[in-house]
Amino acid sequence: MSIIKKLALVVVSLSLVAVSSVSSAKPFSPKKPVELIIPAGQGGGADEIARLVQGVIEKNDYASKPVIPINKSGGSGGEAMTYVKKKAGDEHTLIITLNNVLTTPVNQPELGIDFFNDFTPLARLITDTFLVWIATEGKNTAGVETFDDFIDLARGNGLVMGGTGSMSEDELLLGMMRGQFGFDAKYVPYSGGGAVAKGLVGGESDFTLNNPSEQMGFYQSGDSKALVMMTPERNPAFPEVPSSYELGYPDLEYYMMRAFMAPAGIDAEVEKYYTGLLHTVYHDDEFQTFNIDDGKLMSWLEGFGLKDFLAIEYAKHGEIIKNFN
Amino acid sequence: METVGFLLDGIFTSLQWFNLALLIFGCLIGLFVGAMPGLGSVNGVAILIPITFIIPPTAAIIFLAAVYYGAMYGGAISSVMLGIPGASTAVATVFDGRPLAVKGEAMTALTAAAVGSFVGGTVSVILFTLFAPPLAEVALRFNAPETFALMVMAFATFVGLGGDDVPKTIFSILIGLALSTIGLDLITGKPRLIFFNIPGFLHGINFLVLAIGIYGIGEMLWTLEETKGKVQMSKLSVNMKEVGRAFGALKKTIMAMNIGSFLGFFVGILPAAGATPASLMSYGITKQLSKNSKEFGDGVPAGVVAPECANNSASTGSMLPMLTLGIPGSPTTAILLGGMILWGLTPGPLLFTQEPEFVWGLIGSLYIANFFTLVLNIALIPAFLMVLRIPFAILAPVIFVLCVTGGYAPTQSLHDVWLMLLFGFAGYILRKLDYPVAPAVLSIVLGPLAEKALRQSLILSDGSMGIFFDVSEKPIAAVIMYIAIVLLIMPAFGPLYRRLLKKKQTA
Repeated sequence: MSIIKKLALVVVSLSLVAVSSVSSAKPFSPKKPVELIIPAGQGGGADEIARLVQGVIEKNDYASKPVIPINKSGGSGGEAMTYVKKKAGDEHTLIITLNNVLTTPVNQPELGIDFFNDFTPLARLITDTFLVWIATEGKNTAGVETFDDFIDLARGNGLVMGGTGSMSEDELLLGMMRGQFGFDAKYVPYSGGGAVAKGLVGGESDFTLNNPSEQMGFYQSGDSKALVMMTPERNPAFPEVPSSYELGYPDLEYYMMRAFMAPAGIDAEVEKYYTGLLHTVYHDDEFQTFNIDDGKLMSWLEGFGLKDFLAIEYAKHGEIIKNFN
Repeated sequence: METVGFLLDGIFTSLQWFNLALLIFGCLIGLFVGAMPGLGSVNGVAILIPITFIIPPTAAIIFLAAVYYGAMYGGAISSVMLGIPGASTAVATVFDGRPLAVKGEAMTALTAAAVGSFVGGTVSVILFTLFAPPLAEVALRFNAPETFALMVMAFATFVGLGGDDVPKTIFSILIGLALSTIGLDLITGKPRLIFFNIPGFLHGINFLVLAIGIYGIGEMLWTLEETKGKVQMSKLSVNMKEVGRAFGALKKTIMAMNIGSFLGFFVGILPAAGATPASLMSYGITKQLSKNSKEFGDGVPAGVVAPECANNSASTGSMLPMLTLGIPGSPTTAILLGGMILWGLTPGPLLFTQEPEFVWGLIGSLYIANFFTLVLNIALIPAFLMVLRIPFAILAPVIFVLCVTGGYAPTQSLHDVWLMLLFGFAGYILRKLDYPVAPAVLSIVLGPLAEKALRQSLILSDGSMGIFFDVSEKPIAAVIMYIAIVLLIMPAFGPLYRRLLKKKQTA
C-alpha cells in the first residue's frame, strides 16, 4: 500500500504541474483539461460520440489539452444543464446534446433553465435516425412484412413498445405516431438502448423505435428487422428498409441531434476555437467512417444556421410535449 | 473439440509478448484503481479507453479486461487494510475482512481474498468457455419479472444478515430503500425528493458515498473512541508458519467458494446487475447457509471469500451479455461495450463467428490474467501489511483524506463529500445503538434495480402481481419467487421452531 500511496502522490503532483503550466499564446487555446459534460449515462449514444471525439482529439493531438468526458445523467439531463448554466463564462466546459436538452427545460420548469440564453451553441456534427423495429420471430407481430401491416395490427391490438425512458425521444416519437396513425401502445421503459433492443428480441416487447447502432447486432444476425426509417431517403447501412417519404408518410420524420454547446458568456475567440476544433474532428477520416458505418448522418451545422435549427427543433418539441400531455 | 482449439488459439494470442505485457500492465493498473477508494474499474476503464485507439482491438480488450479484472482483486486491499471499500464491488469484503485485520489476521483475510478471487475467476471463465451460447439464451429470457423475483430473493437473504434482531434489520433495509428513491424517478423521468432544491440530489445518493461514509468515517470514529488513538496491530511477522495458517483457514471456505463462483457467474450474466449485487448476495446467502452464521461480521475467512469469489466470477459473467447481446451486465462493461463499438466491432449474436480471434483472445486472456493477478497479489501481501505498522494517529488522517477523495471521485461534486460525512456520523450513531448497517448498504444498491423491474413488470401485467407467481406463463420468475418466500420465512420460523421443540421436550 505504501507503494500505491507514493504512486498516488506522483500522479497528483504531476497533474498539478500540468494544470499550473500556463501557456500565454494570443489566440485562445485551452489552459487546462476541458470538461465535456454528457447529459446521459455511460454506454449510451451520447456517451459513445463523446468518447469518440475525445479519442480522435487525443490520437491526433488536435488540442493542446485533453478533453475529459464526465457523465451527469441525473434528471433527464437536468443535472448536466444546471451544471453548465452555473459555469457561465467558463472557457473549459463543453456539453454534448441529446434531444433532452430541448425537452427538459420545458418538462422541468423548476430548474429555471433558459435554453436560448444559458448556452452558446457551437456546432452540430451528426444526426441520428430512428427506425421501427420488430423481432423476426415476434409472437404478436407474426406475418407483419411492411410498415402498413404493422399499423393495421397496432390499431387493433394494444402492442407493447420498449423504450429508453419516460419523456425520452422514443416516447415522444410514439406520441407523434399516435396522433398520425391512430394507434396506441403500452410503453415499457428500459435502461438504455441496448436493453431496449434485448427486450424486443427476448420477447418482452413487440416493437421498438431504436437508433440504428442500438439494433445493429440483432439486425445483422437476423433476429430483428426494421420496417421504416423516419427520413426522406434510404440509408446505405440499411439498403432494404424503405424511408417514410417513400411510403407516403412525410410527417413521420424525426432525428436525434448530436451537437456541442459551451456555457453562456464566453468570448467570440473561445467560441471560434472550439468550433474550429470540432470542425477538425468532423473531417477526420476515422470519425467519418465510424459514423457512416453506424448508419448516422453526417450533418455539420454552425453559426446562424445552427441557431435557426435549434429554434425550430425547440418549438417542434414543445408542440409534441403539449400534445402528449 | 472445436472449442478447445479456439481456446488454445485464444490463450496463445494472449501470450504473445505485446499482449502479455499489456495484460500484466493492465492488472497492475487495475490493482491500483481498485485499491484507491472512489476509483473503481469503471473509472479506470473509462480513462484508458482513448489509449486503446492506437492498438489493435484484441490487444485493447485484453488490456481493458485486465484492468477490470485487477480492480476486482484490488478492491479487497483497502477494504481489509483500511476498512474503506476500495470499490463498490468490495463493500461486502469489508464486513468480515476488516474485523479479521483488526484481530491481527490480515494475512488470512488477504490470502482468502486473493485465492477466492482466483477460484471465482477461474470457475466462471471455464463456465463461460463451455456454455456461452446456451447461457446467452438464458440471459435473453431473463426479463423484468424474473429480475424482480431475483431481487426479492436477495432482500430475503438480507433479513438474515443483521443477526437476530429482525426489526432492527428491517429498519436498516427500509432506510436504505428510502435513500435509494432520491433522485430521478426511474419510470417517469421526473425528479423526486430533491431536498431544498439542491441540484446535487438530482443524481441520487451514490451507493459508494453511503458505503465510504458508513465504513470509512463511521469506522474511524468508532475506533478512535474505542482506543483513544492508541491502536497498533500486533502479529505482523510474515513467515512460512503464518502463510501456512492463512492457507489452512481456507479449508473451511469451500462452501463459500462454491456459492460465490456459481451465484456470482449467474448474477453476472444477467443484464444490468453486475459484480456489486453479486458480491453482496453471495455474502448474504453464504451467511444464511453457513453452520456458524453467527460468527459472520466478526471476521471469518468465508465472509471474505464469498464476496471476493463472486465479484470476480460476476465480472467474467457480465462479459457474456456484452459480447453476445450487446447489452452491458455492469457499469464497467457498459464502457467496454462503447469501446468495442468504437473499435469497429458489432456486439451481437454473430460476434463469436465473425470475430473469433477477438472473442477467444479475450477469453484466453482471462485465464492468464487470473493466474498473474493471483501471483502478484500473494507476492505483494507483505507490502500491503506494512500499512498496519503505521500508528493509528497517522493512519486516521490518511483514511479521512482517502474517504473525502473517494466520496468526490464518482460524481465529482462536493455535495457528495458532505453527504458522505453526514452518513459517517449517522453510521457511527447507528452502530452505537446497535443497528446493523450492512442491510442499508445492500438495499441502496438493489433498491433501484428492484424498483425498476417491479414497475416494468406491473406495466406489462396491467398492475397484477400475478405475473410473479404464474408457473405456466413465467416459470423462472415464479420458481425464484417461491424460493425467496421460503428464504424470507425461514429466519422468522427458525427460532419459533426451536422454541416449539424445547416445549415438546419439556412437556
